[in-house]
Amino acid sequence: MSPFGFLADPANWQGPDGILQRLLEHLVYSGLSLLLAMVVAIPVGIWIGHTRRGQAVISLVVNAARAIPTLGLLVLVVLLLGTGLMPVVLALAILAIPPILNGTVTGFNTADPDAVYAARAVGMTGGQVIGKVELPLAMPLIISGLRSATLQVVATATIAAMAAAGGLGRFVIDGQKRRDGYPEMLAGALLVAVLAIVLDLLWGLIGWASRRRTHQTA
Amino acid sequence: MHRRTFLALGAVVPLAACGVNQNPLQGGQSSAAPGTLTVGSANFTESQVIAELYAGALAAKGVQVTVKHGIGSREVYLRALQDGSIQIAPEYTGNLLQYLDAKNPASSPTDIVQALKGVLPQGLTVLDPSQATDQDVYCVTQAYATEHKLSQLGDLAPIASTAVLGGPAELKDRPYGPPGLASIYQVTFKEFASYDSPAVKLKDLTDNKIQVATFFTTDAAIGDNGLVQLADPHQMILPQQVIPLVRQEVTARAGAAEAIDAVQKALTTEELTALNKRVDIDHASAKDAAAQYLKSKGLA
Amino acid sequence: MDFTWIGNNLADIGANLGLHVILSVAPVLIALVISLPVGYLLHRTGRTANVWVALIGLLYAVPSVALFVAMPLLLGTQILDPINIVIALSAYGVALLVRSVVDGFRRVEESVRLSADAMGYGSVRRVLTVELPLAMPVVFSGLRVVTVSTISMVSVGAVIGNGALGQYFDLGFRQNFLTPVIVGIILIMALALLADGLILLTQRVTLPWYGLRTRQARSRGPRPTEVIV
Repeated sequence: MSPFGFLADPANWQGPDGILQRLLEHLVYSGLSLLLAMVVAIPVGIWIGHTRRGQAVISLVVNAARAIPTLGLLVLVVLLLGTGLMPVVLALAILAIPPILNGTVTGFNTADPDAVYAARAVGMTGGQVIGKVELPLAMPLIISGLRSATLQVVATATIAAMAAAGGLGRFVIDGQKRRDGYPEMLAGALLVAVLAIVLDLLWGLIGWASRRRTHQTA
Repeated sequence: MHRRTFLALGAVVPLAACGVNQNPLQGGQSSAAPGTLTVGSANFTESQVIAELYAGALAAKGVQVTVKHGIGSREVYLRALQDGSIQIAPEYTGNLLQYLDAKNPASSPTDIVQALKGVLPQGLTVLDPSQATDQDVYCVTQAYATEHKLSQLGDLAPIASTAVLGGPAELKDRPYGPPGLASIYQVTFKEFASYDSPAVKLKDLTDNKIQVATFFTTDAAIGDNGLVQLADPHQMILPQQVIPLVRQEVTARAGAAEAIDAVQKALTTEELTALNKRVDIDHASAKDAAAQYLKSKGLA
Repeated sequence: MDFTWIGNNLADIGANLGLHVILSVAPVLIALVISLPVGYLLHRTGRTANVWVALIGLLYAVPSVALFVAMPLLLGTQILDPINIVIALSAYGVALLVRSVVDGFRRVEESVRLSADAMGYGSVRRVLTVELPLAMPVVFSGLRVVTVSTISMVSVGAVIGNGALGQYFDLGFRQNFLTPVIVGIILIMALALLADGLILLTQRVTLPWYGLRTRQARSRGPRPTEVIV
């Protein structure tokens, strides 16, 4: 009954529905959707953080986004756009945008105003203030936003299996329906948890490094 | 003290705390009031419709009854029947026999029912089969069939390695799924894609994301989309009559077996197809569709 | 949108809405009842608390589907049992709220504590009538996050056959029918925002002194971790 039996069998690791392939799919879904979310959320966050405009809208969006049922969003997107890579990536990216946006805006908000004034006083342009002062100071919180987004995306990618996609969630969803599928189900759950923890620790490490760097430069 | 609380909580984190020798899929006790019969259904439309037909007919005869829908695949609801979480479930003769005894040679409808009675788990029995049948069937689009000259399952052999088969997750291990296709027809697909949603499976088939998919013969989607049903000359898929699988105590309940038998006698394949369509296409609830039918037949 | 479907299924939708409320309120209450004492005791351990809070934080890395699936093995329950969902969501709630409680108590300034001692408050009375109220604003902000995400996470239970309003996602998905999916999303979001508003209202009523500074304090305070689903 243990998931380790499932994990220990080399046959379960290979092939188009093996663990390696599912792990790869999981990473591709998560990676692409995070990239997409970053491309959208970081520039918008920088603009809002730098200009201090639209802050109220951001807190509203972030709060409402937390209330979106992820399963419902996935089903909606797949019914509207069909199965395949892009619909899943799009749904996951929608969920990843709020935490990254929140992290970026908060990062800019907490950047020491004195440092920003000083930068302006020595004649830096708006772009220079962003690039040389605000962004480095905001980096730890941007990373913490990315960290939250990664957790959200890796976890939700599991549910994507319900929406006819691949990824490690396939083991969880299919295991429930198959004869003696419980070890498979648990193995899938275990793999997702381990993947999420590893990625989380990785972000933790990057965050620690960036904080050190910020303290040195600041 | 707080230390211990946290150690306990910490134990939740490693999912690997798994030496326990039990199978949680093995249901529990029924939550319904004592004396109430629970009709369970599988995770597809027709099963839910038939469950509602049984429940409606039972209720009309004054039997206390509740319905528990969408329990899952046969793998899951059979256990629920065995542990008494439910007492009645709609079944199909051939698939049930194959599930319980994959090597059984019975192939005619009457032989199958006879054989079935011999292999049922302790405490379970079947009532009379209905004339209504619903078989699993492998389908392709008209265009794909024309292109590759497909009319029966064996025709797939030369092209299967380039094609993807779509079906419910449980099909993967079933004797009439990929294992049977490989051993009986020498058909091995490039890939098997699991679908929780028949509607999405249909869409992917018509979009050519998958090339072959299983449907039920009573599924309106086949006719509506002009799908080609592939013949099964070696009878890999056994005849499937609708049959109620019940716990033995149901037969002892006054009026219960009679109420279900009345539904079994009335139901035809065409009516079943129409009922499925009411739910899948018109989005009526299984309960409403069943109630309407029972009323039209004077069964409720 | 198929309004006829909505009309025909009103009773069913109502029942699932009720179930959804129960399945989300129960874990939030359980988490709150556990987190307050546990968080306080942890806070008393000083810096050690950081280690524990970080360790429990790892629980977030476990996705809810995975936790739902593992519950029967850990609890010995049946896979379809709603208890699995309640306990799993309670665990998430505790992990988040404990952090808020610890942070909340940390905000109580030493001078306030000493003043209470000087006024002759016993330690129990000091904790309940002085420290706890001062810690509550942070606890409330954690509670809001927990409540909103719990309401949305209940629907994931549909994956293992128990999702209250989440089952409309399954239904709509099987039939390629958008109406139930949209109904589910709208009701869940409305429920979440309503609950959020109610907690905010409770906070205003119970902590009337905590007015204008709320916004400032929150933006300065530690951000509650995003909860994963």
